[in-house]
Amino acid sequence: MLTKWFKQPQKMGNKYSLWAVYFCTGCGIIEVPPVITTRWDAERFGVIPVGSPRQANLFLITGYVSLKTLKAIIRTYEQMPEPKYTVGFGSCPINGGMYWDSYNTIKHLDKYIPVDGWIAGCMPRPEAIFIAVTHLWTLIDKEMANGYKKYREKYTYYRKNQERALGKLAWPPLYNINKRNG
Amino acid sequence: MGVAGFILSPVIGFVIGIFFMGLFRIIMARIHWRYGPPLYQPVIDIIKLFLQKSVSHGVIFELGLLLSLAGSVVTLLFIPIGNICPLNISGGLLVVLYLMLLAPIGIALSGGSGSNPNISIGISRKMLLALSYEVPFLLIVLTLMFYYRTISLVNLVHFQRASSWGIVSLPLAGIAYFLILPAMLGIRPFDMVEAPQEISSGLKVEYSGKFLALYYIEHAFRRFIVIALFVNLFLGGAGEPFTFLLKMVIVFVLGVFINAVFPRFRIEQAIRFNWTWPTILALAGLIITYIWGGYG
Repeated sequence: MLTKWFKQPQKMGNKYSLWAVYFCTGCGIIEVPPVITTRWDAERFGVIPVGSPRQANLFLITGYVSLKTLKAIIRTYEQMPEPKYTVGFGSCPINGGMYWDSYNTIKHLDKYIPVDGWIAGCMPRPEAIFIAVTHLWTLIDKEMANGYKKYREKYTYYRKNQERALGKLAWPPLYNINKRNG
Repeated sequence: MGVAGFILSPVIGFVIGIFFMGLFRIIMARIHWRYGPPLYQPVIDIIKLFLQKSVSHGVIFELGLLLSLAGSVVTLLFIPIGNICPLNISGGLLVVLYLMLLAPIGIALSGGSGSNPNISIGISRKMLLALSYEVPFLLIVLTLMFYYRTISLVNLVHFQRASSWGIVSLPLAGIAYFLILPAMLGIRPFDMVEAPQEISSGLKVEYSGKFLALYYIEHAFRRFIVIALFVNLFLGGAGEPFTFLLKMVIVFVLGVFINAVFPRFRIEQAIRFNWTWPTILALAGLIITYIWGGYG
């Protein structure tokens, strides 16, 4: 355990201190107050909510993603410092859920930002967040939670999808856009 | 002590400050009937923050943070921790009064270059709060200087150890200091500076990665300084560091209890509170001391 800390301090630090950005994207946020307060105490896993995306490294997409929310999600995600992890919470970000035929919601969130893990269900129980967190630990250990690297490599693809959904974006691209492969 | 004190004093401040952060989170969790994080959770957080990619907002952003950190470390050198006091000069108390203002000014400079509207609200709140607790604080320090007829922190501790504790001989000033202690520590009734729910953690909203880690370390130093000053001024200091730290832990735990049970004040309520009860008590203590005469 201690040798792991000396070998890979960044990985271990990210594992045991996941700070979640306090951003209510949809109806799933109703499950988060019980998680961070007395009944299911998330702080024993090192998960605490913080007020600013600059300080966070875990992004919970809680519930359905409308077009307006997607704009805020992308901006929040791009402001978070690397390494950063995203978890889709509930069935709506996975495939649209009960809003599958809505004109104004996003069906597949992972076309717009990379998502490291999913929690299925409508709504998932608060315990599911802990299962997701412990699963994310395993993924970080095996270096499989590399969504932020994927975002840097395939930024052209993500930017193109974002522009297709939202029209012209009001902020400049985060990384270089490769016109040829796009 | 000699040169070793110059290294030992900041190291003790750093370790105990980080320990206080862990203790704070555990006691808060137990009062909320939660299990709480492990005691070493702040260490994990700081290691993680130092290894994160961080965003800088210019030279002032970095230098202001360093200024506040340096201000806190230098203040620590003037404060006796038991018998460790590297800069044992005759006017220690006055120097501490001046140097304690460096930390808020440095943070304000650094945060101000972040150009986020939440930061300017946070800075104005922090400065107003500092303005509100400085009035009773200066009156309390004046009372102590007048009573013991010294402006040296070390002599103050010696006089208290020779006779009785400051809180026994000057109860009104002691109570007034304890009332402004949460404001100086920035804990719950007075945590409007860093209200995460209202202004998305205010001053530190643009800090990320290693800057946030430095901010937390500065915060830990500041907590240590304020509590150490209380122990030195009113609880008689101590002959060796161990007793001193024990007294500090007791004062800090009392502060955490206050933090756990009180809701947050608005800024104008905080100023009204600080300029009424602590100021009245401190002023009454000063007048009584003036009439009865000083020590010895």
